Amino acid sequence: MKTKIINWIDQRFPLTSFVEHDLTGYPTPRNLSYWWNFGFLAGFVLVLQVVTGIFLAMHYKADVSLSFDSIQHIMRDVNYGWLLRYMHAMGASAFFFVIFVHMARTLYYGSYRAPRELLWWTGQGLLLLLMATAFMGYLLPWGQMSFWGATVITNLFRATPFFGDQVVIWLRGDFTVGDATLSRFFSLHYLFPFLIIGAVVVHLVALHTVKSSNPSGIDLADHDNIPFHPYFTIKDLYGLGLFLMLYSVFVFFIPDSLIEPANNIPANPMMTPNHIVPEWYFLPFYAILRSVPNMVGGVVAMGLSVIIFAFMPYLDRSRIPGGARHRPIYRVQFYLFMIDMLVLGFVGYYPPTDQSILIGQVATLCYFGSFFIVPFLSKVEERWLIKRGLPPEVMALIESEKHEISKKGGKL
Amino acid sequence: MKKLMTILASCLIATSVLASEAELKTVKVGHDVQTLERGVDAVMTNCHSCHSLKYITYRDLVAAGVDAKKVDAWRGDQPLSSALLAQMSEADAAQAFGIAPPDLSLMAKAREGGVNYVYSYLLGYYVGPDGATGNHYYPPTKMPDILGVSTAPQDQQAKIQDTAHDIVSFLSWAADPHGDERIRLGYYVMAYLVVLTTLLYLVKKRVWSKLK
Repeated sequence: MKTKIINWIDQRFPLTSFVEHDLTGYPTPRNLSYWWNFGFLAGFVLVLQVVTGIFLAMHYKADVSLSFDSIQHIMRDVNYGWLLRYMHAMGASAFFFVIFVHMARTLYYGSYRAPRELLWWTGQGLLLLLMATAFMGYLLPWGQMSFWGATVITNLFRATPFFGDQVVIWLRGDFTVGDATLSRFFSLHYLFPFLIIGAVVVHLVALHTVKSSNPSGIDLADHDNIPFHPYFTIKDLYGLGLFLMLYSVFVFFIPDSLIEPANNIPANPMMTPNHIVPEWYFLPFYAILRSVPNMVGGVVAMGLSVIIFAFMPYLDRSRIPGGARHRPIYRVQFYLFMIDMLVLGFVGYYPPTDQSILIGQVATLCYFGSFFIVPFLSKVEERWLIKRGLPPEVMALIESEKHEISKKGGKL
Repeated sequence: MKKLMTILASCLIATSVLASEAELKTVKVGHDVQTLERGVDAVMTNCHSCHSLKYITYRDLVAAGVDAKKVDAWRGDQPLSSALLAQMSEADAAQAFGIAPPDLSLMAKAREGGVNYVYSYLLGYYVGPDGATGNHYYPPTKMPDILGVSTAPQDQQAKIQDTAHDIVSFLSWAADPHGDERIRLGYYVMAYLVVLTTLLYLVKKRVWSKLK
């Protein structure tokens, strides 16, 4: 009976071939480390956010006079409303944590290299969508930090040439952040996750075309690929267990650790908080914004600091595969970049002083400098490594890549 | 690398400077019903005439285990479902103090430092050389030294500290009434996840052992 039904479907819809091609039989490099678990985790957190969000929306009121109270209603009166809300609030942080690790892995192993540029760029688009969604969601509790954060960030669009003021009013729907802003942010905060889901599908189609990269950076021979199921289903589930433990520590034991105290005060347009800080995941970019003395320059620098990752496939000119694994100079650069991100995060958190502004400016220069130096350093490093002698398997890949390129008429 | 070390070092210095700005007293809040009852008693006596707790109803107090007779005395002819609104109207309070006293429902979470801040603030009053009362932790405060900590003799200080502790414990509950339940549930969730993850690890090992 079962096969009969499946046969009936298969004649009309590629069910079995899809499951075999993309789920059970999907060839996956056997040497993937646990750093490759984070894509799956990101997908899991996305589902978690959508599900908790839908239930929260049943009790939430998008109205300046009701929204703060409705959050308290969720926290106090709705059955397990506190759990839903903390899962959703911590889920936002978890999402960024997972995505940042996912991106760091890509940068470390050079997974953005050809032929995975489109995979990297769709991921970049996902990051932008995620940032927009998180930013709009943060307004919804209508606390002091929600209000002032949204005010500061929408205000940045004043930097738009010619009609900056109009753009800000258009975004807010009013001259200040108010009821119009809150209700449109709620509407878009509900819409964007579905755009994210669509973009994830594109991201996965790209992935399944070029297949996963792997720590060696070498495209493995067929016998080194293993089917996704059961090997990676179980590995991803085990990783999920570890992730859920960390997540649950935050949700159950320290749920207020990432919520600014000022956001427990209802929004008050007449009173500015002592210092306005964004959520932790925006801090490095916020620090870059503040490091540029000129507002337009700051906005451009902040935008560029997020977009600049997209250029990595072209900035990195080294043909040596495996990213930082086989490239000592790039590896040092990678770790310095991570430290620079942390420094920027600290600078973004603390109210600006002469000292912290200076540190922020130096760190901002290091941030962009580390991208601009990649084209030169990667070439110099490649020459040095080839002269020094590469491991045979790395040599073999460079040869096979050359071969591939000549076969395809010099284009890859 | 040297530049980097300098940056890191100055970051650490910056952190320590900021941390030493306000040295808060630390308090360990009580979670038992007796403390909660003493706390709400102290709040009704000392705070409730000016401050509201609009997210807490009299029914919440009874449900949390506070003596129903006491709750009845506090609410008078108001129904159980009414919130703990201040006895003084906001306009009158604003007239008297120059600023409307803030709602206390979320006070334990709404200030940097949380319960430690509220505790320190309540006990932070002093009489300055000019005879005026000030507060170490929030100098612009308009609230009088309601517990009398700045004028009480030495032998009464311990009692005042106990009262402040009870008030803070109650406010901590009021800001997060499901907090105890959350932590209790958290232990079960963690235990479950530890078992589940261990099992998943074993299955993973077993599945992968099929590969040579």
